[in-house]
Parts: sequence; structure tokens; C-alpha cells
Amino acid sequence: MSDDPRHSPRARNGRAPDVFRPGRWVSMQQYADNEAVDFVIVGTGAGGGTLACKLAEYGFSVVALDAGPYFRPLEDFASDESEQTKLYWTDDRIVDGDNPLQLGSNNSGKAVGGSTVHFAMVSLRFRPEWFKARTKLGYGADWPIDWREMWAYYTEVEQALKISGPINYPWGPPRPRYPYRAHPLNAAARALARGCEAMGIAWTETPLATLSAPRGLAHPCVYRGFCVAGCSTNAKQSALVTWIPRALSAGAEIRDLAMVGRIETDENGLAVGVHYHRQDKWHFQKARNVVVAGYAIETPRLLLNSATDKFPDGLANSSGLVGKNLMAQANQAVWGVMEEEVRSYKGPPSLAITEHWNYADEGKDFFGGYCYMSQGPLPQLWAKTQASAHGLWGARLVEEMKRYNHAVGLKIVGEMLPQEKNRVTLDDEVDQYGIRIPRVTYSWCDNDKRLIDHSIGFMSRALTAAGAKDIWIQHDDTCHLNGTARMGSRPDNSVVNADCRSWDIPNLWVCDGSVFPTVGGANPSLTIQAIACRTADRIRSLARLGEIRF
Amino acid sequence: MLDAMRSDHARKQRAHGIARAGVREERSAPAQGRWSPTSRSLSGPDRQKADNVLAARQLNRAAGTLAASVLADSAVEHYRGSFKNKAMLTPIVVAGLTLAMSLHGTADKRPVAHNARDTSYLLAAGTGLLGTGFHIYNVTKKVGGFSWQNLFYGAPLGAPMAILLSGLLGFCSERLRANGPRRRPRVLSLPAGKTVATVAALGLLGTSGEAGLLHFRGAFHNPLMAIPVTLPPIGAGLLGATVAGSGECAHRATRWWMRLLVAMGFAGVGLHAYGISRNMGGWRNWSQNILDGPPLPAPPSFAGLALAGLAALELMREASDG
Repeated sequence: MSDDPRHSPRARNGRAPDVFRPGRWVSMQQYADNEAVDFVIVGTGAGGGTLACKLAEYGFSVVALDAGPYFRPLEDFASDESEQTKLYWTDDRIVDGDNPLQLGSNNSGKAVGGSTVHFAMVSLRFRPEWFKARTKLGYGADWPIDWREMWAYYTEVEQALKISGPINYPWGPPRPRYPYRAHPLNAAARALARGCEAMGIAWTETPLATLSAPRGLAHPCVYRGFCVAGCSTNAKQSALVTWIPRALSAGAEIRDLAMVGRIETDENGLAVGVHYHRQDKWHFQKARNVVVAGYAIETPRLLLNSATDKFPDGLANSSGLVGKNLMAQANQAVWGVMEEEVRSYKGPPSLAITEHWNYADEGKDFFGGYCYMSQGPLPQLWAKTQASAHGLWGARLVEEMKRYNHAVGLKIVGEMLPQEKNRVTLDDEVDQYGIRIPRVTYSWCDNDKRLIDHSIGFMSRALTAAGAKDIWIQHDDTCHLNGTARMGSRPDNSVVNADCRSWDIPNLWVCDGSVFPTVGGANPSLTIQAIACRTADRIRSLARLGEIRF
Repeated sequence: MLDAMRSDHARKQRAHGIARAGVREERSAPAQGRWSPTSRSLSGPDRQKADNVLAARQLNRAAGTLAASVLADSAVEHYRGSFKNKAMLTPIVVAGLTLAMSLHGTADKRPVAHNARDTSYLLAAGTGLLGTGFHIYNVTKKVGGFSWQNLFYGAPLGAPMAILLSGLLGFCSERLRANGPRRRPRVLSLPAGKTVATVAALGLLGTSGEAGLLHFRGAFHNPLMAIPVTLPPIGAGLLGATVAGSGECAHRATRWWMRLLVAMGFAGVGLHAYGISRNMGGWRNWSQNILDGPPLPAPPSFAGLALAGLAALELMREASDG
């Protein structure tokens, strides 16, 4: 390792790490702080990384800041769960509510590339009806975007990430062929398949953002299984190895270890740049447009922390909705033990999926939907799960761990409904940068509980039918965070419009999972990236029409 | 390859009216004192006998090339499958035997069928059929049954066909030797040239299908992956046209196409070696990547079949000349 990316920035002096070649660098355009760039983007994950790439490719000057390090996956990532917690956002936060969220692992990332550096790569399209959830399905809120438009952007992202997926997808309207073929199923995925076949519902190989064939300098997946601890082979098509290198070659500047603390606005109520902390100093980057892409906690936190006399409740908050409608996704699991060896940790963790309960509307006593996938917990996580969720300790825990190779499980990604009381607010405590930390309040509603109960009942039967014994339930787990700056068709019921542009400040944009009015029962990363691609296209169109000031 | 070219050279000389006997010296070296090495005066039946033996040896070589491909391929793939079922050793033993017999046949210039070779070629053909059955069973027993997933990653359905083809070509070779001085050699009372050409054409189509399936699994990520699904079917079509009775021009085109396929088969090894280098660790990590990357020994199957195609063309020419 040439240096420690957690302590000193790597992207500087006109160069950034070459993530494909150990020790090598790629050249990087750099902008002076006092040079007003077209776009400064806060965050480089699924939203910010994608948008930085697209805007740079469209010829705009772009500086994208990330609070996290600029990792070199081939050199910096170990097959060690403890070491790899360095990918998580573990800064101070306060959680409360009836069902406080567990933050800091599967729902956050602090690195260039954001949480896509450790995401499970599940790349699902939303069910078309979800974009009109209120009108067509009677819950949540409508999106101001038509699903057919999204369908085209999904295709763009699937091509950009060379998604490996099944030949025929069993649910929803036709979609183009996935660019790469599905990966081979592991034994855990085959258990899901057997369960589905016994229950009479469809299943398929999960569309995954990890390569099943070579791509440029990236190698195909070697089924190492440490996907959610960071892929050390570059098979995972994270923003770090896809959008970011493209952004750099298109002339964007990436600044790592750059924590944005405040967006500056002028007397006209327009954003003029961001204050960011880097190398022990505060700096100010001038910009004609500011895009916030910090995900569903840091985005509202930054907007709220940027309050001024003119915007006393925070920026873009005339609706009062900034921070509200936080939506996690239910992540309950059913676990069991098979007679034969499973070794579920081999390969990507979720190789098989059923979206049956996302698309079936009959036989439900709840709004929304869920999918469930096969699982492959790594040993340390598995021991922790057995200790905390299963309540085992001492000799019983040791005995259970001896059955690790036989463990098998199914886990949902379930839709939770938007509720204004689930929200991100500011606490008076400050973090290491002196910025007020977020307080995250979360409680499940009755609908959430009914969905969870339904999924647990169904998965228990499916896992039993697949041949598993000693079934037990993991009741309390959530994943993914969305909402908190929702898009909509009116300034009074949303924070941004369909173009992710804030209603209140025309040169302030939000581009990440925060803009979701509803979350659906599918992992959000593909939708976030599709939204970012759409936003870039809209920005280009608006710029041509003279509707964006530069 | 070299023999095939020599043989073609000989054909051309004949076509230009040069005396056959002079060519024969080069083409059929004598064996075990039956023929005089310097004879320029082989009579018609002897010449015919020698032609048949030459074609038979070419078929032995084709069968051997296929067997070598199967030997290496099944050894690597079944090692990868940890020889979970003891029957997985069968193709290695049988392909090894077939290769040995084919080498023996290639060197053997006697105009008589050989019992041990005959038996081992039949054994190879039987193994191919049985293996196909095993592979179908392996695919269909997996959850999802006859699905893309299992076709991609289960036992490859088409692979055992290669040893079947090797056996069939070898069997044809032995029948050819047993023709003695007959002018229009026959295999199981069918015209030998056309029979071998048909077997080679069907083999090329099947092998191309197998390559197509696996290259589709690799999403044709490299445009060169389209070569083995385009050139061999054209070759099969050309062979088909010659069987159906086309002119000299088509024969010549087919011959060149078969040579192209022989070259393609061996060049494929190089391309697969490059494919292996693109996996994590490249050739430094050879022990893993030879198993996980594209199969090195697979592409020469095309060469084996194209060599059989060349032999078939020669037989058809002899038949029409006669």
C-alpha cells in the first residue's frame, strides 16, 4: 500500500488513483476553490458519482467531494470483516423512535463511490406501478416521473454496469437482455429455488452488478464472497470503478476526504458554493450549481445545517419536508440448517431472488411489496447475528457456529411506507468537524408490521419446503435509506421536482435516494443511478434552453 | 496439417496431368516391406489401396486430434468437478486409449482394419453416447431443470459428443482400410467420402453450437468469440454442398475452408490462453484460472473435425477420379 487513504487525500496534484492498476495514477483536472465550477457535487456514490460522470461527459465543469477515502480495491481491501468496516459511515449519530435503525453497515458508506463500494450489487428495476403508488395501488405518494421513461434509464445503467442477469425475467414488462449472463447459483440460491418451486411461485437469478465475464481491466467475479466487505478484484461494478473513472477522464475533479459542512447561499437566495473540510482546514469551493448527493441522512443534515436568516428552517425546506418521510426497507430473515453442506458464503450473497410478492396483489393484507433473496453471511456477521438476533452465547453459540457451513437463509427487502414522523433532525451534539450531528427517528407503522409478518410466514414455509430444519426468525433488521427530500409535482408536497431541482433554490439540486417518494420492495441502487442519468439529461436540456444560470 | 497440405499438393499435380506414381513416392511411404519405397510402378489396385490407406490415416489423425482435445478437456473439467462421480474418469481413460490407437493408426500403413483400434473406436463412440446421457441427467436433475442456468453451468451437453465423433471417424478409418483396392471405398456400404464428410459437417455444427452456448454465457464480450460460431457452420455448409455433388470450384473452396478451420482450432488455444490471462491474477494464478477461464483444450476439436473434412474431400475426389 502506497499510503493510508484514510488520513491523507489521494486525489490531488492533478492525479487520482488508478483503481485498475496497483500503484498507478490517472491524470485529473483540478479547479481552484475560487473558480466557480458549473457543478459542485456533494457525495460520489450511486447518485453523485453517476451524476458527476454524466455532467462531465456533457461538458460541464464538475467538482465532486466525498467525505470518505479514495480506496484502491486491488490493494486496500482485505478478506477481513473487521478491517473492512473502514468502508462504513460510523460517525456519531443518534437513533431513536420505536424501532431505532441500526446505522453504520449495510445502510451507509464513507468512501469515494459511496456505499456502492460495499453494496450487495442487487440491481433491480422498480415495478412500474410503484411510480404511481398512490393512484394505482392506493398508498404512499406518486412519483412525478413516468415508468416508461425510467425503463430507458434503467437500460442505460444496466449497460453501464454490465449487469449480469437472467435471460428471461419472470416479472414485469419486457426488459432488454442483460448485458452479461447470470452467475452460477450457489447452494444457498438453490435452496431458495427449491423453496419457491415447492410454494408454486417463480424465482430467478438475481441481476447483479458484478461481472460474469471480463470487462476492460476488470476481472470477472472469482466468487470470493466478500462482496459486502468490499470487492478486491474489481468484479463489482461500484461507482468507484465505473462512473468515477469515466468522470475523471471526462474532466471531473474528485476530492476525497472532503467533508462538506455547509452550503453557502447569497442574498438572492441562490447557492454560491460549499464549505468543506479537508486536510485539517476549511475551504470554500465556488459553484454555479450545488448538488447534494449524501444519501438519506447526510443530505437532509447538510440542508438543515445550511440554514440562514433567509432560510431559517434549512435550505429547500419551504414545504417543511426536508428530513421527513425517511424510509428504510424491511430486512427480516428466516434461517435454518440443511442436512448437507451449503457454504452460503461462497459467491455473491444473493444469487437467487423471487419478486413474486412485489408483483402479486392478491393474498396480501398490506400495501407495498417485498422480494426475498438467498443469503451468504460472512462468519463474523453470522456470529454476531447468532449472538444478538438469536440470543445465543457461550457453548450454545460455539455449537451453532460449528453448523455455519450448513446454515441457509432467506431475507427480504421490504417496502416500508413513508411517514412524516420518521425523520432526520439535527441534534445539538457536534461531530469531529464541529458540525451538528443527525438524530434519526424511526418507527414501524402497522402496515410495515403486517408486511413483515407476511414475509416471515411465507419464507418460513418456503425454507422448510426446501429441506431446512431448526428454523428461526431474525425479526429486527433494516436496510437502505430513502426519502427525506422527496420529489413531487408541487412545491408544497415535495422538496425537489422531477428533475431533482429544489423548488426553493433553482441552482440547488438533490440527487440520491433521498428523492424517493416511495421505496418499493427492491434494492434502490439501480433506481438511484437511473434517476441520476435522467437528471443529467434534464440538466443538459435545461441548460440548452437557458433555464439554468451559469 | 503438413500431411494434408502435401496431399493437396499431390492433388494439384494430378490435376495438371503429372504422373501419379512420382507423387505416390512421397505420399505413401512403404510399411513393413509390403511396398517398395522407390516403386514408380504401382499398378491400379495397389494405388487405390494406398489411397484408401492414406485417407484412413488422415482419419486416424483427425480422430486422434479430437481424442487429444477430449482427453485434456475432460481431465481439466472433471478434475474441476473433483471426480465426484467415479464415472468421470471414463472419458479420460477412453480418450487416452483412443489417442494412442489413433497415433498407432496414423503410423500404420497396412491396408487392413486393426481389431484393437476398431474396438477402442467403438468404445469411444459408446462412451460419447453414454456421457451425453450422463450430462443430460446432470443438467435436468438440478433445480430449474432444463434452463439456461443449468445449460451454462451444468455438465456441458455437447462435450461428450466429441469423443463420439472421434470414435466414429476412427471407425470409418478402419472400414476404409478394409476396402482393399476398391476404387470407390465404402463405409458400411455407404460411400466413404460422403459419409465422413457428413459426420464432419454434423460434428462442426454441433461443436459450433457448444461454442455458441458457452460464448453466449460469456456474453460474446470479445468480438473474436463470434468466430467459432460463424466459420464452422459455413464449413459445414460447404461440406454439405460437396456431398450433394458440387463442382471443382466448390471442392477447392471447401478444402481451403477446412484448412482455415484447422488453423482456427489451434489459434483458439491462443485466444483462450489470452482469456485466462484476463481472470484475476492472470497466468500467475494459473492453477485457478485454467479451471475457471475458457477451456484451453476445447478449440482443437474444430481442427480435428476439419482434418476429417479434408480426408473426406480427398476420398470424394478419389471416388470421382476413379
